[in-house]
Amino acid sequence: MNGDSLNLPVTPLLNDEMAVLAGRLRRSLVQINNHRVGIGAGIIWREDGIILTNHHVGGRGQLSVILLSQGNAVYPARVIAADPEIDLAFLQIQASRLPPALVADSRNLHVGQLVFAIGHPWGQVGFLTAGIISSLDSATTRRGRQIPILRSDVTLAPGNSGGPLVNAAGGVVGINTLVIGGDQGVAIPIHLAQAFADQALQRAVVPEEVSV
Amino acid sequence: MPDTQTNILMALSDALAGAVAKAGASTVLVDARHRFPASGVVYADNLVLTADHVVEREEDIHIVLPEGSDTGARLKGRDPGTDLALLELDKGGLLPAEPVKQEARIGQFALAVGRPTREGLQASLGVVSAVGGPLRTRRGGLLERFLRTDAIPYPGFSGGPLVDSEGRILGINTSGFAPEASLTIPAAVAWQVADAIRAHGGVRRGYLGVRSQPVEISPEAQAHLGRAQESGLLLVGIEKNSSAALGGLMVGDIITGVNGSAVADHDALLASMSGDVVGKTISIEVLRGGEVRSLMVTVGERGQP
Repeated sequence: MNGDSLNLPVTPLLNDEMAVLAGRLRRSLVQINNHRVGIGAGIIWREDGIILTNHHVGGRGQLSVILLSQGNAVYPARVIAADPEIDLAFLQIQASRLPPALVADSRNLHVGQLVFAIGHPWGQVGFLTAGIISSLDSATTRRGRQIPILRSDVTLAPGNSGGPLVNAAGGVVGINTLVIGGDQGVAIPIHLAQAFADQALQRAVVPEEVSV
Repeated sequence: MPDTQTNILMALSDALAGAVAKAGASTVLVDARHRFPASGVVYADNLVLTADHVVEREEDIHIVLPEGSDTGARLKGRDPGTDLALLELDKGGLLPAEPVKQEARIGQFALAVGRPTREGLQASLGVVSAVGGPLRTRRGGLLERFLRTDAIPYPGFSGGPLVDSEGRILGINTSGFAPEASLTIPAAVAWQVADAIRAHGGVRRGYLGVRSQPVEISPEAQAHLGRAQESGLLLVGIEKNSSAALGGLMVGDIITGVNGSAVADHDALLASMSGDVVGKTISIEVLRGGEVRSLMVTVGERGQP
């Protein structure tokens, strides 16, 4: 049997690693309340208060960001960059020294790799689900642009939108986005968010204060 | 220093992706029906095993190979009883898949793999959930064993493989028996069927020419048998000039065994008629008037006069 050659207590180690991973993911996970359609998810993008989420979650309207890592502290937020075409938006909150999410390279993924989703499906806060990358596909946006998408067999539900899909090293590979294709388990690869951040956050003026 | 925080998890992730890649190198797209394409598994150089129910036409079958090129194919043979078909490709040089040598174990990791689109491989992860069988199927077929998994059967996964964590083929996935309940034909059965189609153009199932019904066996008769067997098959009809008639079986006999294996129900008799039995002489154990007899019967072929 294959197990004989691996002289390690595999399942306890695996369980420990999973627990460490889940703890790390929760630290940079946020809740986003748009006061319209309930709670979505997001990740801390930068330690100076920049949050990444889906446009359909936090692209407009009155927004609050709830930091799970700070005892559910609620911050008012405003949109500093939004791209409805790829369903991504960056928000700014007045906070500093936040723990940003670890970002992985989503251009070099393989079908079969383990992935985890964390979010708030049906309002269950910080809910972790596991699966694999099912396919590396592409989709056509409403404006006719071809973009890569990730499909996974990870169980997702409303409330996962805007939350991360992460690899076995805990790096974010995608943002779970249920609306594109009307399908379950669709994520926007994180390199699209990276490219969007590179052009949009350069220009964006980080406000001195946020009026509420 | 290695990152001990994520060592095993990352190793597991790499292993699963490696298993998908290995099985994927022998998984093709099979376009042989009106609806969206399905998948197939390379059985030999130019032969692909797929699900019978996805092969709606026998010619002009379109195959997309793992590296992305196209080729044509035609039906080599089919076995609706196990929902398997073998396709012969215009192009050879394919990499045959590696079937498992051991029985699947409940709880082991299982990946469903398919190639229903040109965009590349698809996969889902689960475990072997159950090992079932026998299952009686169409045209006197009998699936001795089947596997069930909780890996998601995506559209177009029929005919594709269920693979283990090393990328070996546990079986062929099909939703052909019940659309809402996909199941997996174990590799041992699938490869046996493919061998038979390659050699004879189809699976030849044995035929005796009897009608039977299960009946209880009395304790006295069980004592004659020399074993505890509470049921057998009472013969209620025998076709003229059939194998059974020529072999001396009579209405009223109770079949209790074939070739030394107990036969207590119809599934067991059907199982004894699958495999390579056509034209072979087998020994059928019957109870006749309370006495045990052994009759030698040369098995005919189902569907042949």
